[in-house]
Amino acid sequence: MKKIDIKLTVNGEQHEMAVAPGERLLDVLRERLGLTGTKEGCGEGECGACTINMNGQAVLSCLMLAVQADGATILTIEGLQKGADLHPLQEAFIGESAVQCGYCTPGMIMASDALIRNNPSPTQGMIRDALANNICRCTGYDRPVKAVLKAASQMKERKNG
Amino acid sequence: MSERGYKMSIALKFEGYHRPANVDQAVKILTKYGNNAQVIAGGTDILPRRPGGNNAGNGKHLVDIVHMGLDYIREEKNGIYIAAAATINSIGAFPLFSQTPYLALSEALACHSTRTIRNRATIGGNLCNASPCADLALPLLVLGARLIVAGPEGNRQIPIQDFYVGTNLCALDSNEMLLEICIPFCEEKTGTSFLKLGRQQTVIDMALVNVATFLTMEGQCCVTVRIALGSVGPVPFRAKKAESMLTGKRPDKKTIQLAAEAAAEASAPLDDIRATAAYRKKMAVILVRQALENSVRRYQA
Ligand SMILES: Cc1cc2nc3c(=O)[nH]c(=O)nc-3n(C[C@H](O)[C@H](O)[C@H](O)COP(=O)(O)OP(=O)(O)OC[C@H]3O[C@@H](n4cnc5c(N)ncnc54)[C@H](O)[C@@H]3O)c2cc1C
Ligand code: FES
Ligand code: FES
Repeated sequence: MKKIDIKLTVNGEQHEMAVAPGERLLDVLRERLGLTGTKEGCGEGECGACTINMNGQAVLSCLMLAVQADGATILTIEGLQKGADLHPLQEAFIGESAVQCGYCTPGMIMASDALIRNNPSPTQGMIRDALANNICRCTGYDRPVKAVLKAASQMKERKNG
Repeated sequence: MSERGYKMSIALKFEGYHRPANVDQAVKILTKYGNNAQVIAGGTDILPRRPGGNNAGNGKHLVDIVHMGLDYIREEKNGIYIAAAATINSIGAFPLFSQTPYLALSEALACHSTRTIRNRATIGGNLCNASPCADLALPLLVLGARLIVAGPEGNRQIPIQDFYVGTNLCALDSNEMLLEICIPFCEEKTGTSFLKLGRQQTVIDMALVNVATFLTMEGQCCVTVRIALGSVGPVPFRAKKAESMLTGKRPDKKTIQLAAEAAAEASAPLDDIRATAAYRKKMAVILVRQALENSVRRYQA
């Protein structure tokens, strides 16, 4: 089996590596790069725990091969924080108690981040649509939705203020 | 592999990965490996984790068509051409499809999986996977789409109603790939509709029943009627007898009901873990009736 050379930019850092055709992006992030913030729940596209941001869009890293991401710019939960400062979404999830066990949280936040990047003033309906692929067994969804609303409005204020 | 001494990762059992730069190269690779190769686009049908990590059942050599410029949607003289690797979300953003005649298509696009999956999932993958539940098959059946296929001898066209051969089996040869889908322009006054019944528990689900309808009229009577059903037989199909029961008739309540019953009669659903055959058949009547009512209303609006 021939390995394939790929280049990835992950959280601003460039990586080059040789991967097998069947290696999933999820496994490369977690096991080769040690970025274990991205979780595996189901491995079949249902739960969203593995959601990352690729070239500005939310995608499921369990449903992608690493070779398919060759050349891509990837953001994971580890890349959101700026130095010691949490991202407004992270702050809002904590502030609104939208985190209980936390297993779904990185995926929820990455899906929300992609939404806010493409639409700085999302409505509740848009947030629920964007999070429809993120299963949470703890919070009942209302708190994450509130947190995203709060983060979006804070980010707009900071930008304008 | 892991420095921490445990290993969660699974390596799917693919042996080769090819990234052709153009259609010629892709067809050459498919020809070389025959049944041992499979096209990969978004990968959302191919890659979900399976017990044992063997997702390579249909070909150990992957031919990735995502980097070949096959993501356009454009209007030409005789119709709208959608490239096979266009993502569901990009098609959903094409302005023409939010106009009345194409609502069946935009409704199906919006019902397909979730926003996150639709960033990767493609129209070509949805059709070529040949699932009886594929949401996009139904609007394309009633819109009379043609599929343009590339192979070693050049391109050929397949009307969509001839594309489905059996469950997970389409009319492509192992050395062929789907290039684009052509949707003929609709007359401005056309009423179409798509409806999907899923399970209550989750929004992320394949259909239990899905239907699409298409209707044009002259005066009070129907001229062209098309009805397609999915998830209630081995392949998505047109219910021709039901269509003929409405053609030339007034689409009144009773005629619509009889046509909807005939459409469901043409189905052959299965019992499975998600629903019983009897339930699917009953719901098929209701969905076809509602879709036809939507079509009439949209035609008349
Ligand atoms: C959680 C989840 C939910 C889903 N929900 C829905 C849903 O609601 N409705 C629905 O219809 N589907 C659904 N799907 C199925 C899947 O997302 C769609 O069928 C999708 O459109 C497939 O596109 P893809 O590009 O990802 O296909 P791939 O996985 O890349 O390919 C699918 C098949 O088509 C072949 N293929 C792809 N492109 C070509 C081509 N150009 N020429 C020849 N062969 C080709 C491949 O070889 C493979 O056999 C869901 C999947 C998941 C994981
Ligand atoms: S692990 Fe990717 S969706 Fe569940
Ligand atoms: S916080 Fe536990 S699954 Fe969401």
